[in-house]
Amino acid sequence: MIEVQDVRKQFGEVKALGGVSFTARDGQITALLGPNGAGKTTLLRTLIGLLKRDHGTIAIDGVDPEQDPLAVRRNIGFLTDQFGLYERLSTREYLAYFGELNGMKGAALQTRIDEVSELLAMDDILERRAKGFSQGQRIKVALARTLLHRPRHLLLDEPSRGLDVMATRALRHALTALRADGCCVIMATHVMQEVTHLCDDVIVIAKGHTVAQGSPQELCRRTGIASLEDAFVSLVGTEEGIAA
Amino acid sequence: MKPKFLVVLIKELRETLRDKRTLGLLALFTFMYPLMLGFLLNKTIDRATKPERDGIEVAVIGVAKAPTLMAQLKQRNVTIIDTGALDEEGIGELLRSKKYPVVLRLSDKFTENYTAMRPARVELWFDSADENYTQRREVEDVLQAYGANVASARLLAHGVSPATLAPIQVQRFDTGTNASRSAGFIGSILGILFLPAFICGMSTAVDITAGERERRSMEVLMAQPARAWELVAGKWLTAGVLAILGVTLELALAHAILSWMPLEEIGMSWALAWPDLALVCVASIPLCLFAAGLQIALAMNAKSFKEAQSLLSIAMLVPLVPGVVISMMELKTADWMYMVPMLSNQTLLREMAKGGEVGLWPVAMTFLSSAIAAGLAVAFASWRMKSERYVLSV
Repeated sequence: MIEVQDVRKQFGEVKALGGVSFTARDGQITALLGPNGAGKTTLLRTLIGLLKRDHGTIAIDGVDPEQDPLAVRRNIGFLTDQFGLYERLSTREYLAYFGELNGMKGAALQTRIDEVSELLAMDDILERRAKGFSQGQRIKVALARTLLHRPRHLLLDEPSRGLDVMATRALRHALTALRADGCCVIMATHVMQEVTHLCDDVIVIAKGHTVAQGSPQELCRRTGIASLEDAFVSLVGTEEGIAA
Repeated sequence: MKPKFLVVLIKELRETLRDKRTLGLLALFTFMYPLMLGFLLNKTIDRATKPERDGIEVAVIGVAKAPTLMAQLKQRNVTIIDTGALDEEGIGELLRSKKYPVVLRLSDKFTENYTAMRPARVELWFDSADENYTQRREVEDVLQAYGANVASARLLAHGVSPATLAPIQVQRFDTGTNASRSAGFIGSILGILFLPAFICGMSTAVDITAGERERRSMEVLMAQPARAWELVAGKWLTAGVLAILGVTLELALAHAILSWMPLEEIGMSWALAWPDLALVCVASIPLCLFAAGLQIALAMNAKSFKEAQSLLSIAMLVPLVPGVVISMMELKTADWMYMVPMLSNQTLLREMAKGGEVGLWPVAMTFLSSAIAAGLAVAFASWRMKSERYVLSV
């Protein structure tokens, strides 16, 4: 469970977050919608304690990331907008590296790597070095790294970009399984179809503020617009959000 | 559980050892440097031990024309080789072959002019690019002395004292020896023996900090449950281990080469035993760690991979400065020198090479000065990684 209350963050003159509040519940996939530059990346970085907020409270399973960032990170899988692969390491070595950084080791770690690899259907690239991987293969490896240490919380920044149909299905399958396990998943995305199909809850942020939170159906009902995309545009407020 | 910094260290080392370019550079500096040193010293020794006076060989064209001059040359230990007639090209060829320092050619009318008391021409051919300056000088001196002798005899025959022709008398004394000439050269070579400490870890230090950031994997790494100092320490030790390996190998190789060479011939000594060398190597470990720490801290702060590279190449020259200044100002070894990283190692090695008892204090100072500097660099880098400005730049 991730609870965020009125979080604000300012970089010099630039107000990146001007008051974000939401609750992401366990066993749910929460979509984080917002135009580019709305403050999604800053929000995610604040959640894992890389950035310090100026105001407000954050509790991840009751723990404040500013007080104990390591405890919070141990329990979070973070997929950034960059995959961060190492060209000279094979997928298995890459996963083992991050597994060890998360305190896993030995045979248990290797077994878990095999498990994750099977879940994401990436056995074919497990022993290959990352040099020359396709976009889809890269994101699979990064996803595997995110899931490896069995975090209770997942922060995913556009996990489905660049994936082909098969891989997208595999991802959707994996996310549903995690939800069934009771994980708390926050997923930043721009694909509305994915949101309607997959997400239980939607947070809309624009210009550093939470604009709305609710299920896709609720958002449509509240705005009185049938399609989620149009509802999103209406919530963000005019075309300006899209142009930004 | 494995400490986090060890996890980072092992991963970075594994990745570095798979990079052929970095490995090649490491090998190049480790092996090339002592070999180059050996080659240079060998040449110096060769030149120094070559007899300067005896055995000058001079090629002469037209020997028969000036028997007395030839006799005089022979008296001054100059061997005369009669080459027979040669044109200018042939002379050039002969000089280029470096067999003779000079070629003398007596003009066709030498005998005629000589007996008529007109100036008889002797051509002295030499190659100024060649380094046989002293030998050439010797031959010129003999020619001049011979000319002066003949002039005196002629003046005497006319009833004039030859002394009137020499109002002043110049006598040259050269106190320089080959040994003292080469000593300075050797000193500067010893000074750069520790440079690989800064070279061997450099490209890796850039790659795992600025490079990792540019490849956009730094953010992922920083989002892991590891403290900033653990990540920095892992990266620092990676560069440090490479530098230590490089310097140790290089020093051992240089030691083997220097012990094997007859350095006494040029007034130098290399009175180092293997245990002493081990001590020097141990004392240079903190230097390597300091170099690595400095490079990690600088490369982390650079805006890009390129900037980090150029920054570090400049930083590499800085540690050379104290050594150069000291040798330029000809300062005597003093205790404070052991407190400056790099300079302390150079001083330590120089003093030990002289064969004197150095004592424990300088070794400890050498060790500590670099160790403290290394600690400061790593602390700074860790503090930097935690800062928001750094997080925003990844």
